[in-house]
Amino acid sequence: MPALDPHGAIAEKLSAGAPAGQKVTYRGAHPFSDTKLHRYELSNGLTILLLRDQSAPVAAYHTWFNVGSRHEKTGKTGLAHLFEHLMFNETESFKAGEFDKKLEESGAESNAATWVDWTFYHEALPKDRLPLAVRLESERMARLVLREPQVKSEKEVVANERRYRVDDDVEGASNELLYKTAFTRHPYHWPTIGWMEDIQGFTPEDCETFYRTYYAPNNAVVVVVGDFQEPKLLGLMQKAYGPIPRSVIPPDEALPEPFQSESDLREITLKKPTPTEKLIVGYHGPALGDQDHVPLTVLNELLFGGRASRLYRALVLDTETCIETRGWVSTFRDGGLYEMYGTARAGKTTGDILAILDREIARVTADVVSEDELARAKARLELSLLQSLETMNGKAEQIGFFETVLGEPSAAFRRLEGYRRSTASDLRKAARRYLTGQGRTLVRVLPENGA
Amino acid sequence: MKSEPTPKRLDLEGGATLLLEEDHSLPLVSMTLALKSGSAHDPVGKEGASRIALRMLRRGAGGMTAKQIEDAIDRLGGEVGTDASPSGATVGAQVIVRNLDNFVDLLATMLGSPAFPSDEFGRLQRETVAEILESRDSDRALAQRAFRRSLFAGHLYGRSTTGTTATVPRLTEDDARAAYGLHVRRGNLVIGLSGDVNESDAKRVAARLLDAIPAGQGLPDPIVEPEPKKGRRLVFVDKPERTQTQVLIGTLGTSAFDPDHVPLGVANAVFGGTFTSRLMREIRSKRGWSYGASARLATDRHRQSFSMWTFPSSADVAPCLRLEIELLEAFVDKGITPRELSFVKSYLTRSRAFDVDTSSKRLHQALDVVSLDLPADYHSSYVAKVKSTTLEAANLAVKTRIHPADLVVVVVGTAESTLEGVRGAIDALEEHTVVPFDAE
Repeated sequence: MPALDPHGAIAEKLSAGAPAGQKVTYRGAHPFSDTKLHRYELSNGLTILLLRDQSAPVAAYHTWFNVGSRHEKTGKTGLAHLFEHLMFNETESFKAGEFDKKLEESGAESNAATWVDWTFYHEALPKDRLPLAVRLESERMARLVLREPQVKSEKEVVANERRYRVDDDVEGASNELLYKTAFTRHPYHWPTIGWMEDIQGFTPEDCETFYRTYYAPNNAVVVVVGDFQEPKLLGLMQKAYGPIPRSVIPPDEALPEPFQSESDLREITLKKPTPTEKLIVGYHGPALGDQDHVPLTVLNELLFGGRASRLYRALVLDTETCIETRGWVSTFRDGGLYEMYGTARAGKTTGDILAILDREIARVTADVVSEDELARAKARLELSLLQSLETMNGKAEQIGFFETVLGEPSAAFRRLEGYRRSTASDLRKAARRYLTGQGRTLVRVLPENGA
Repeated sequence: MKSEPTPKRLDLEGGATLLLEEDHSLPLVSMTLALKSGSAHDPVGKEGASRIALRMLRRGAGGMTAKQIEDAIDRLGGEVGTDASPSGATVGAQVIVRNLDNFVDLLATMLGSPAFPSDEFGRLQRETVAEILESRDSDRALAQRAFRRSLFAGHLYGRSTTGTTATVPRLTEDDARAAYGLHVRRGNLVIGLSGDVNESDAKRVAARLLDAIPAGQGLPDPIVEPEPKKGRRLVFVDKPERTQTQVLIGTLGTSAFDPDHVPLGVANAVFGGTFTSRLMREIRSKRGWSYGASARLATDRHRQSFSMWTFPSSADVAPCLRLEIELLEAFVDKGITPRELSFVKSYLTRSRAFDVDTSSKRLHQALDVVSLDLPADYHSSYVAKVKSTTLEAANLAVKTRIHPADLVVVVVGTAESTLEGVRGAIDALEEHTVVPFDAE
């Protein structure tokens, strides 16, 4: 009989004698850079991903929930994000404010983020404080207390956050309009922070229902990166999370976005007290898991990545039309947008930006790019991946993100291989597929006084 | 507690210093070339000269055009950025290790033989002016600029490192060349390397860079200690249609050489340095008035600012401002409590692990010490000093350094709807000025 994998043995030992619903199963390893991360699962469906890293006496503890603004309903937008705030409040064992206090007293830093597909909570702790993260995170996964005063106060904080990020922020406001206009059926239509009237209307009951539905072990992934003893940590997690019951996760109700045909050109003009004109263009793009996402990302790097990129050169340096330009292929579970931004200089217009943008788009759909440009884009993407792995938090974020969106924790490295294999022909094919033959959405921001 | 790893220091020929922090976990090398002088040397009327000189390094050098330099940086999997402040300047770079030597050759060319081509200079000038105009979109940046100008009026810290829409167009290539000649010299340089690089690589890299950089001594520091200004002053930056305001309240703060520098920092962490600080609790958690609320002590070669930052809605700004000043007065009058001190000491000593958890953070701490002439044990003695801070020392430091009677209050908002409320919220206000957001 072959010897049991040491990780399998850890799981087996922890499961021996554990109550029926609280077993630990080893699900195998994933290569991660030049090491491996290990996947375990508790009987209640909680996925645990562990990456041992002894480079510093600290640890990163991330909890990713498979819930974001896409899971909300019309009239209740912003609930996933408001909920993220509420998760720092009272639990059955800890009074309001105690959660943060305990972490800070331990020298830990914690925060959270919500977006369309996910919500995640993270702690960075000195390594000897990992048990505290296990205790606090397991507590708030199951025993959060939702009362009127906290909900009321957090609604006010979130309303202020919305004013800061959207209402008084030109870019935030225009980005919100872009998605609102480009998506008509899919929930990417509404902003993750929610519409103001929805934020102000939430009740503790809305929050409670949301919590009981989505905050459950079978809808979560815990990622730990750091210098820990695997059996000890897993034992703690088993004890803390094991008794938490599963939930019935409702099916994803997101409707596919109808194709935006070539003749369907959507355009919105927004007037703001801003010094110069701005243009945002959105083309419907591939989902993160689509094969096309990799070559389109390389193409985007070639077009917008850094000062040697085509659009930076054309818009900022050569014609001095823009002060800034950038592009991004959204990394969402379903097809999002390929967003392109340009901030005009004084005296230049969104029309000037669009003319140059269209000229460059026509070039990449007509001709293949040069090998040198391709190599530069690939080197930049490689550097950026390495930079994201400099801290334990960075590693945990890569793992949690790709596990939650793609079910593949080390997808960052597969994608890097994909970047390396992408050819000039692949880039042109991706450009032709997404930048021609379909409509697009434009948001033009104009200075209010007509300056 | 195990002692923290500290970068190796080597003194090089010509007065330069090399700092090295090895870490072979990723195939990445980070480099920082820190110059010990900065925009405080810009002549009056030529504000922005040092910064533009640094930014010109990548716009033509050693026979390469700007385009060729940018292509080469990308091709090597590298990144280069420059930064300047009144007291110093840096060229920061990162590269995939397999291309280290070629990348260092490129950096040596940029640093040692910049061409300052006039077409590129004109382009960068126009770009800088456009950036200044564009920064008016950021209410926070508007608040910071107004705060610095008012708190340090008449002092070198009050000037803009970027320059203004008036000074930048007047700069010439000769001004940039002069600024380059002034700052980029061996005796003014600290080279920091971290990441996948060993000592012999580091020495080779340093030798290659030094070989390219002109000889010369470091510069005397032109900055004098800032003088406190009496009374409470309001600067209201008027911008239309604000649903929210940006509020900065502050006064002079601390110098790294003050004997009470660490005790003051400890007390400030209680007041506004953590997520559970007094400011966060009173303003965000209890009242929901502002998404963030914090207090900060800036550090430089000389005494810098103490500032409180919030961004309440236009409807809440007056009560929020009043409460902030009351909290500040109570902080100065009554100090912090034993319980708060014990809590924050625990936080500061344990969270220290995150100030030194990567090689580049460790390197940057060492770079700060050398390039800003901070006390040699500034970082290494920090934990011990936090631990030994007594309640009396912390509270005395607050009373000695922070004077709530002498405040600069900056509000970015819409004057028509909020100015009167804001004025009424500041007791003993001596003067107020309203400036349009697009004045500079």
